[in-house]
Amino acid sequence: MTESRTLRLQRAMASLVLDWDEASLEADASLPARQQALSLADQQSFRDQGAALLTYRELARMSLVEPLEEMFPVLKALLDRDGLWDTCVQAFLEARALRSGHYRDIAPSFLGWLASSHWGQERWPFLLELAHAEILEVLVARFPDSDPPGGLHADPGPHDAIVLDPATQVVTYGHAVHRTRETAPVPEAVETHLLAYRDHQGRAQLLELTPGTAAFLVRAQSEPLAQAAQALHLDGLTPALNLLRDLHREGAIAGFQSAT
Amino acid sequence: MTQDRFTGVGLGLRRPHLEQVAALEGHGVPFWETCPENVIGDGGRSYRLASAILDRDPVLTHGLTMSAGGFDAWDEDYLEGLGRFLVQTGTPWHSEHLCFTSVDASCLHELLPLPFTREAVRHTVARARSLQARLPVPLLLENITYYAELGAPEMDEADFITAVLEGADVGWLLDVNNVYVNALNFGFDPKAWLSRMPLDRVAQIHIAGHKRFGDLTIDTHGAEVIDSVIDLMQWTLRRLGRPVPVLLERDNHIPDFQALLAERNRLQQAYDAALMTAEARHD
Repeated sequence: MTESRTLRLQRAMASLVLDWDEASLEADASLPARQQALSLADQQSFRDQGAALLTYRELARMSLVEPLEEMFPVLKALLDRDGLWDTCVQAFLEARALRSGHYRDIAPSFLGWLASSHWGQERWPFLLELAHAEILEVLVARFPDSDPPGGLHADPGPHDAIVLDPATQVVTYGHAVHRTRETAPVPEAVETHLLAYRDHQGRAQLLELTPGTAAFLVRAQSEPLAQAAQALHLDGLTPALNLLRDLHREGAIAGFQSAT
Repeated sequence: MTQDRFTGVGLGLRRPHLEQVAALEGHGVPFWETCPENVIGDGGRSYRLASAILDRDPVLTHGLTMSAGGFDAWDEDYLEGLGRFLVQTGTPWHSEHLCFTSVDASCLHELLPLPFTREAVRHTVARARSLQARLPVPLLLENITYYAELGAPEMDEADFITAVLEGADVGWLLDVNNVYVNALNFGFDPKAWLSRMPLDRVAQIHIAGHKRFGDLTIDTHGAEVIDSVIDLMQWTLRRLGRPVPVLLERDNHIPDFQALLAERNRLQQAYDAALMTAEARHD
């Protein structure tokens, strides 16, 4: 079945916004229409309105690129040093990886595309970690609200396991990406452990963890606290239980339940 | 379609103002407009503040990315959540833009113009009817600004909008700033344009600021509303002769809440004056 003219016109517009470079369109704005095998009249319409269509292209791209520049300032600074930020964004747009109608999903979609495409990661092995760290707090702050898990108690015992709040993330990076800034965007190659959680006000909080604490928080979600502490050679269970009580009070841990 | 509690000039609920609005019950804003895409599935402090305001105050809902004239399949999960949200907020209707925003499942996050053709009318009418059948409240479609026609047109914008609204039998969210901006860019008289339109379908009005860039005027929602657009709103209200709710849109260069309230108050005075003139004419 022949695809409708309306659909082909919409595809031509999408291609004009996402695929074609400005110089080609300045030379001939009808290229996207021709690519969609639209009629000569439609091609002429694109050609006649070249300047307006280029403005459209700029406006539409702005709505996609601005949230990226806002959310990934350090990554942009890093790539701008070699004039590659625009190249990276263009590769993302051409991949058509943005499937969500939620504006807040633009930055996470970009992160997902970096993870699947491996763009730039041969040259900058920390690039994905850097991008993740830049939006970690936003991901946690805006994690969908839901009812707290039921059947949990507030005071941990040796035979309990941890149940994290659904928004909480324990993250390990191979680089100190959370210490980068726009003027110093290359991180030190040192393993870094972070706990990102939402406090009772609904605001994101970030805590740097020791490797032992990070491992304990991960391991004790699936086995008894005493067993996890022993396996990790922690110095007694009491300090760990006190830390868990603090994290529960702060909102990072939803509660505790029997590990069995 | 207009319900009594939705009259006057309302404001869009914006993140920078949430703390203040949540703490302020006597703000004098008759209703808020919210974008469900920014609330459904969200979480954290802003979400909780927005939810508290939406539970407390009258709300109208306005969607951004449904792609009413597009070809992508509806996101049925989202529509289910949207339906629950619309019932929960008590909005008397839900509005979407008369445009497309996604192609082949790729979301463009821009309101892109539909071709002014008979085929596009048939397609958009079918889509609007299909969307309406999935919503628990009446659907309104909003006229957009456009900066170029998509392909060789078979009719003008006014005929296209009329054919879609009447074919789909849906209400109209009339954006007077969009009419004004299109009039500047394409060189027509906005009042003459409006005189041709099915004004009986208008259930809500949008008003906003715009900015000139070179030869083109852009609907920025980032500046104060100019007098000519306020005049067009008043002209429309007098013509309608009924207190259709007006929403002041401000999405860029968002001023502090007190400045926005002051602009709303200025528009409310213009709104009241227009309706008073309309009443006097009826008397």
